[in-house]
Amino acid sequence: MLDYVYTGWGAFWATMFMFIPFALMAYWVIRRKSLVDTGPTRLQPSEFAPIEGIWLTFAFIFFVVANLASLKFIPWAAASGATGGEAEVQVDFTAKSWAYDISNRQIEAGKPVRFSGRSSDTQHGFAVYHPDGRVLFTMLMMPGTTKPTSVVYTFKEPGKYAVRCLEYCGIAHHRMQDELTVVKSN
Amino acid sequence: MSIATTIVKSTPIFGKMFAVDKSTGLEEINAWPALMIMSSFVWLVVAGLLGLVMPATQIFDLGSDHFYTTLTLHGAALTFPFSFQLMMGVGLHRSGGCVGKPVTGLFAALSWLTMNLGAAILTVAVLMGLKVSVVVMFPLPLVGAQMGVWSMESVIVGFTGIYLVLACMILCYPLLVFKMLFFGKKRAELVLSERSLNEPGMLGMLLAAATLLLTGLPLVVVGTTLLLALYKILPMSLAAWAADPVVFQYTFYLFAHNLMEAMALMVASAMYATLPLYLADGSRKLYSEKLANLALWVLLVTSVTSGLHHFITFYPNQPAALSYWGNIMSWGTGMGAAISIFTILATIWQHGLKPEPGIVAVLVGWALYILDGASAIVTSNIAWTYQLHGTMWQSGHFMTVVLSMSLMWMGVLYHHYPVITGRKLDAGLGSLYIKLMTVGSFGAAIVMLAGGAAGMPRRFADWHPEGWMLYGNLILAFGLIIGASFAVYFYNLMKSREISAPMGELARA
Ligand code: HEM
Ligand SMILES: [Cu+2]
Repeated sequence: MLDYVYTGWGAFWATMFMFIPFALMAYWVIRRKSLVDTGPTRLQPSEFAPIEGIWLTFAFIFFVVANLASLKFIPWAAASGATGGEAEVQVDFTAKSWAYDISNRQIEAGKPVRFSGRSSDTQHGFAVYHPDGRVLFTMLMMPGTTKPTSVVYTFKEPGKYAVRCLEYCGIAHHRMQDELTVVKSN
Repeated sequence: MSIATTIVKSTPIFGKMFAVDKSTGLEEINAWPALMIMSSFVWLVVAGLLGLVMPATQIFDLGSDHFYTTLTLHGAALTFPFSFQLMMGVGLHRSGGCVGKPVTGLFAALSWLTMNLGAAILTVAVLMGLKVSVVVMFPLPLVGAQMGVWSMESVIVGFTGIYLVLACMILCYPLLVFKMLFFGKKRAELVLSERSLNEPGMLGMLLAAATLLLTGLPLVVVGTTLLLALYKILPMSLAAWAADPVVFQYTFYLFAHNLMEAMALMVASAMYATLPLYLADGSRKLYSEKLANLALWVLLVTSVTSGLHHFITFYPNQPAALSYWGNIMSWGTGMGAAISIFTILATIWQHGLKPEPGIVAVLVGWALYILDGASAIVTSNIAWTYQLHGTMWQSGHFMTVVLSMSLMWMGVLYHHYPVITGRKLDAGLGSLYIKLMTVGSFGAAIVMLAGGAAGMPRRFADWHPEGWMLYGNLILAFGLIIGASFAVYFYNLMKSREISAPMGELARA
C-alpha cells in the first residue's frame, strides 16, 4: 500500500485526500449560510474553540504522519538501508545539451545501482522511467559542482527503461533521451 | 488630469473599461491603479491566448520552436505583467483607501513603467529567439548563445527586460507601499474604509512588501553584476561569482519562491478585508482577527526558507539537512492554510454571507488556492518530489497558484470597480463568469496534476509518447473554458458603461 502512496499517482490521491473533504465542507458551509439559513448562528464563539482545536490537531497529525511514512521512500535513505553491505554497481554519466554519456547502459535487476551524474554545460535532468511510463526518480545537475548528483536505486523488473531530461535545457530539450536495459540477474 | 488617466483614456477598448470617474474626487487613488489593472488585462488577453497555442502546437505538430517560444511568453507574461501587476493595481487601490493617502508620484509611475517596459523588452527578446522559460534555468541563456541557438543580443535584451521587471517588484512597488504606509499625511477625503496595520487586511500588505524587498535584494546584487558584465561595463572576471549557476539559481529561488508567498500574503490580506463587507448580518467582523494574523505570520515565517524544496533532487549538492528543512517548512505553510481555512469558514458560519459575485469569485479563487497548496506541499515532500520534480505536476502547481491568486484579485476588483469607474457590474454575467471559471480552472489544474502523476514532463515539446496527449487535449478543452470565462468577465466590464451612469457619490457609501 505505502509503495503505491509514494508514487506519482499516490501523490495525486494524497492531494485529493486533502482537497476533496475541504471542497465539500467549504461548499456546504458557503451554500448553507448564503442561501438556506443566512441568519447568524446560535453557536457561541466559545463553542467554536474545540472545533478549531480538533481541526488544527488533525491537520498537524496528518502532516506529520504523511512525512514520517515517506522517509523510507527517499532514495538516499533507501540507499543506506537497502544495500545492507551489498556492493553498489556504479553508473556514471555526463549530461550535455542534448545527450547523455553513460558509463554502462546494461544493468542487472536486484542489485543496488548508484547513479552519479554531472552536467558539462547547463542545468539538466536525468529521470528514469519504468517501462509502464511512471517516473522512478529524477536528478538535477548543474555545471561546475564539486560533487556529482547522486541517487541509489534497485531495479526489480527487467525491461527497457527510458531516460529523459526533465530540466528545461533549450530548443531540443525534449529530444534529450536515452535508454537503460535491465536484465535478469544471474 | 493625471498622466495615468490620460493613458487609460487613449487606450482603445480596454481604456473604456477603466475610464476613471472624476466626479468622486478620488482620482489620486484611482488613476495609477486603474492604469495598472488595465495594462494587466491587456497582457492577460495576449498571453492567455498563447496558453491555448501550446496544446495546439502539439495537436497540429507545429514544431518545437513554436512551443518553446509560446511557453516562455505565456509563463513570463502571466506571472509578471498580468498577475503581479493586477495585484499591484488592486492592492494599491485598497491601501490608498485604507490609509487615506494618494497613489501617485515617482514610485507609482516607475512601478508601472518598469513592469510594462521590462515585460515588453523581454517579449522582444523572446521573439528574437531567446527561449529560456519564465524561470531562466541559468546558465541556459549564455550556453544557448555560445551554441548559436539564439544570439547574444537577444540575451542582453532579455536580461535588460527581466532586470526592469525585477526592479518593479523588488524596489519600486515595495518602496511605494512603505511610502504610503509610513510617510505623508492622511487625507480625510481619501479615506474609504480606514484600517490600521494591526488588522489582517493591512498587515499582509506590509509583510508582503517587506518580503519582496528583503528576499529580492540578493538577486538585485547578482542581477546588477551580471547585467553590467553583459554590457561590458564590468569585466567578466569580476562577475564570474554571480554567473556561478549555484549562486544564481539559489538567489533566484530565494526571491522567486518568496515572490509567490508575498503575493499570497497580499491576497490573503485582501480576502480578510473583503469578506467582512459581505456578511449577511452586517457585523463586518472576522471570526478572529488574531487567528487571521497568526495565519499570515505562519505563512511568512515558514515560507522564507521553504524554497529549498526546489533543489531536493540536486542531492548531495544540496545537503540532505537543507532538503529536510525545506520539506518541513513547506508543510508548515500548510498549517497556515489550515488556520485560514478555519477562519474563513467559521466567519461565514457565524455571520452568514451575501453571495454577491465579487465575494463568491474570491472564495472560488481561494478554494483553487487550497487545491494548489495541497499539490504544493505534496511535491515538497522529498520522496514524492523525486518522482514529480520536472513533470507537468509542477507546471500545474505554478499555473494554478498564479491563476488562483489572480482570480481572487479579479473578485476583489468587483468590489473596487464601482469606486474607480463609478459604474456597476452585472450580477448575472458575474455569476456566469464564476461558473465557467470554476469548471475551467479546477479542470485544468487537476488535469495538469494528473499528467504529472503519469510522468508527463513539463516544458517538453513532445506530448505524444506514453499517451500524454490525453492530458494535452484535456488541457486545451479546459483552457477554452477558462478563455470563455475571461471573455464574459471583460464583456461585463464593457457592458457596465451602459447599465448605469457614473455614480460619483455612491462610491463613497
Ligand atoms: C487559456 C487557458 C490556458 C491554457 C490552455 C494554459 C496552458 C498551459 C500549459 C499547457 C502550461 C504548461 C507548459 C509546460 O510546462 O509544458 C502552462 C503553464 C503555465 N501557465 Fe498556463 N494556460 C492557460 C491560462 C493561464 C493563466 C490564466 C495563467 C495565469 C494566471 C497561466 C499561467 C501559467 C504559468 C505561470 C505557467 C508556468 C510556465 C512554466 O512553468 O514555464 N496560464 N499553461
Ligand atoms: Cu537537458
